[in-house]
Amino acid sequence: MLDQPIIRVCLILGSLFTAFFVLRRIRQAKVQIEDTIYWLAVAFVLLVLAIFPDIAFWASRMLGFVSPINFVYIVIIFFLIVKQFFMAIKISQLDSKVRILTQRIALNEEKAERDKLDL
Amino acid sequence: MSKLLIVIPAHNEEENIVRVVGELTEKYPQYDYVVVNDGSRDKTAAICRAHGFHLIDLPINLGLAGAFQTGLRYAAENGYDCAMQLDADGQHLPQYIAPMLEALESGADIVIGSRFLTVKKPKTLRMLGSYIISWSIRLTTGRAICDPTSGMRMFNRAMVEEFAQNLNYGPEPDTISYLIKNGAKVKEVQVTMAERTAGHSYLNLWRSAQYMIKMSISILLIQWFRKRDTENPYPERRM
Repeated sequence: MLDQPIIRVCLILGSLFTAFFVLRRIRQAKVQIEDTIYWLAVAFVLLVLAIFPDIAFWASRMLGFVSPINFVYIVIIFFLIVKQFFMAIKISQLDSKVRILTQRIALNEEKAERDKLDL
Repeated sequence: MSKLLIVIPAHNEEENIVRVVGELTEKYPQYDYVVVNDGSRDKTAAICRAHGFHLIDLPINLGLAGAFQTGLRYAAENGYDCAMQLDADGQHLPQYIAPMLEALESGADIVIGSRFLTVKKPKTLRMLGSYIISWSIRLTTGRAICDPTSGMRMFNRAMVEEFAQNLNYGPEPDTISYLIKNGAKVKEVQVTMAERTAGHSYLNLWRSAQYMIKMSISILLIQWFRKRDTENPYPERRM
């Protein structure tokens, strides 16, 4: 399947669009640079796999896949699971930060109200 | 003389903070300073309060960029003419504040306290990262920055406002390269730095490598695509 040009063209377009949208977000100052490096790396790897299909052919022979496109799918699934994992950690951290901040604000307000009542 | 604010970001620096701030207040009382406690897990905040240090206490850990930006927002909101970063681990020596301030007043937007302006940079593994970042900045801006990873940087009023209000303005070499590309005037002043005497450095080999990769990609690739918009900064953070 990977020997057909259409799927390679799709992969190339997909990775170029990804890079384009990520860079546009940076240009508009809508995303932090450290959060974009992952997506640029993914786009780069998919681009390399599309331009040099020999890598996928070689890897699928090594790993015993029937079709080289399966190797491309595995790579994509791997990227998605890794991202999912780190996002779960990040969300958990953000969750605890929101809790701490909410408590801080409420405690500060309570203190301010108490001080006012004392007057 | 311009009104200078020294921003001291502190994360788990209970062993160093008294010495660093104590020296500053005793020998250099003419400068204003603020310690930004970056959600330390040790007694940094309590020690600062006990000694009556000027303190901004962040309730959570924001990282160096977030902590330093807090200090710059304070500087911008309280009418300071310039601000600088001074590390809480005692690496940055306050006797170099005066020459840096002089360089800033003679017409620069950013002044970097540089270890390698007149001194040769050692060719060690530790300095490999510094060489690569220097080279990246040279390649993309045409300007030589001898010590891009030095944290001892001083910013004028315009830069303070820009750093305080925008996204992707961490106090790191990639921001410096971006600003040079956009016409900011950067000067370096030769300084010496002390070795950390207590506590632990955040950087180990793995973190240094990560930092290096992030900075190289950012300087060589990403900074080209950024648009500088000083008229309409990141709207959510507008003061």
